[in-house]
Amino acid sequence: MKPHALAHPVAVAGRHRSAAARLFDRVVQRYLALPIGVVIALLWANTAPEPYFIVAQSLAFPVNEIGMALFVGLIMQEIVEAVMPGGALHSWRRWTLPLLAAGGGIAGSAAVYLAYVRGHYEPILETGWPIASAIDIAAAYYVLKSILPRSGALPFVLLLAIATDLFGMLIIAPQYPTAVVHGGGLGVMLVALGIAGAMRALRVRSFWPYLAVCGTLSWVALYREGLHPAFALVPIVPFLPHEPRRLDLLADPPDDDAVHHFEHEWNTLVQGILFLFGLVNGGVLFRGYDTGTWALLLAALVGRPLGILTAVGVAVAAGWHLPRGLGWRQLLVAAMACSSGFTFALFFATGILSTGPLLAQLTIGALGTAAGSLLTIGAARLFRVGRFAR
Amino acid sequence: MRRVAVLLLALLATVRFTPAAQNAARAVETLPARADSLKFAVLGDNGTGEKPQYDLGQQMAAVRRSFPFDMVLMLGDNMYGRQDPQDFVTKFERPYAALLQAGVLFYATLGNHDNQNNRFYKAFNMGGERYFTFVKKNVRFIVLDSNQLDPKQRAWFEEALRQSDDRWRICFFHHPIYSDGGRHGSDVALRVVLEPLLIKYGVDVVFSGHDHMYERLKPQKGITYFVSGSGGELRRGDVHPSGLTAAYYDQDQSFMLVEVAGDEMFFEVVARSGAKVDSGVIRRQPVGTRESR
Repeated sequence: MKPHALAHPVAVAGRHRSAAARLFDRVVQRYLALPIGVVIALLWANTAPEPYFIVAQSLAFPVNEIGMALFVGLIMQEIVEAVMPGGALHSWRRWTLPLLAAGGGIAGSAAVYLAYVRGHYEPILETGWPIASAIDIAAAYYVLKSILPRSGALPFVLLLAIATDLFGMLIIAPQYPTAVVHGGGLGVMLVALGIAGAMRALRVRSFWPYLAVCGTLSWVALYREGLHPAFALVPIVPFLPHEPRRLDLLADPPDDDAVHHFEHEWNTLVQGILFLFGLVNGGVLFRGYDTGTWALLLAALVGRPLGILTAVGVAVAAGWHLPRGLGWRQLLVAAMACSSGFTFALFFATGILSTGPLLAQLTIGALGTAAGSLLTIGAARLFRVGRFAR
Repeated sequence: MRRVAVLLLALLATVRFTPAAQNAARAVETLPARADSLKFAVLGDNGTGEKPQYDLGQQMAAVRRSFPFDMVLMLGDNMYGRQDPQDFVTKFERPYAALLQAGVLFYATLGNHDNQNNRFYKAFNMGGERYFTFVKKNVRFIVLDSNQLDPKQRAWFEEALRQSDDRWRICFFHHPIYSDGGRHGSDVALRVVLEPLLIKYGVDVVFSGHDHMYERLKPQKGITYFVSGSGGELRRGDVHPSGLTAAYYDQDQSFMLVEVAGDEMFFEVVARSGAKVDSGVIRRQPVGTRESR
């Protein structure tokens, strides 16, 4: 790690911070802004639905299509740093088994989801299968960290979740529903990448010129081509300055150098966006549940863990080795930790579906998959895994 | 011999004067059935392929003798369960055989149980589109796919409304934006998107299904909403009347008869038994003179 380059107010304030500030830090570090937004949205939608939906729909575009670009960009930045030399997830050998497990998880969740909606003769819901495959990276990471803090399960699950969600993003980006495709995006994208390359050559260390100038151009390019503009920063992120990340992926980074300082600011901004994202998209009427809700829950809570375990089982039978310190009981808990889709499922749902009852029933399912974290803790207790071993 | 004759007479009387047939004759008494008016029927959530659907199909055919409607609006869930070629026979062509043979045209919208490819089925007259519009006499019908209202459809809808200079504007789609149905109820998220356009462009009447009952809502911002989702399915006792409810019926399958004549739209709701369960007349209100709720 490079020495501290820029002092950050948080670091300076130290232990003199108020209880409110510490609570804010905890919300930021634990990715709690989105669940808080969802809870408020659910209460609001079910007590005053019309005012809620008027506000939610007026904010939907700026939050989902513009603000979420910063979230996707941050995830991309963290992934790039984690897999670069010196990063916690560097070494492609580590990726093989998680990639196979991700494939199994995607296949398991998609198979259960599609079987359920076809069994109920609602083929219109088939389009939602990528939502069923989404894994909430933060939820998987934190629940597993609380059970198996120093286990090989952590990088395994992170790689699995990242691979799964990258696959989901590739699926949903072209499905962005738009009124008109304008074209001409390729030229704008080339300009964006050219400017980003020039900034990198000029050793611009601040993130903001990349995000504001190149990100905006990239956003326009994707939007004009009818691609989901929330992915605008994905092609820009590789040009940003990077520092290798430790395993605490998704945590607010330590403010120990210029890059991490910008990431800290970026992360704080993203938490505000995630709060708004939960507020805008999380509000559904409880009675809006339907076939898609059950299909999604079953796919995430049963299909995905089963798919992961099956894929790993096949891989081990074919000669692969489980990560060090990871037995089958731990693997079961790790697979369960991947059952929550929450943030990513909600994001995929809004990326694929437009306003209407299909979106509502799948949103309820996406929110319901948060129960996967509780089931993971239950499974860990049952099988005496990690901190429940005694 | 005399006993046989009496028996035959009794049988004839039974066939001729079943309650359904009597009620069918009675059912259309509130509709003027003018020669130059537009007459149509409305039903939703019908494609079960089960006996109640067939009963209702027979009732529609019986009513048509005195009220010669020449089209039917289908409000979605036109087909439940399997949707193989044979199902189009058992869940659509056979129940409405008499109407189809008489040349009655069916115009369908897609519900959540419908396969999207059913829009290519010729007898549904959707022209292969999820959303479309057509004109009959002086009435503009606009048909939406309410399963999801994507930006393209919304833009198309506004343009279709903007271009319409027809005297009446009627929309139909599957999911109701006003409903007192206990299972589903009003889809408020859809309402927030659709209602401003319905008001702005002077839509007069909206038909929906999804909730398996019949309900007429009090006019909302000048627009009359009907839920007619018991054309085959039925959720008995599902209506929870509220301040919005004008009339409802949730005890048996039902369909609607509608007649547009000049600035008046007459309607009547007929149950499977043939009983008339609601009727009335809606007078077209020019945009700008409409009362709020």
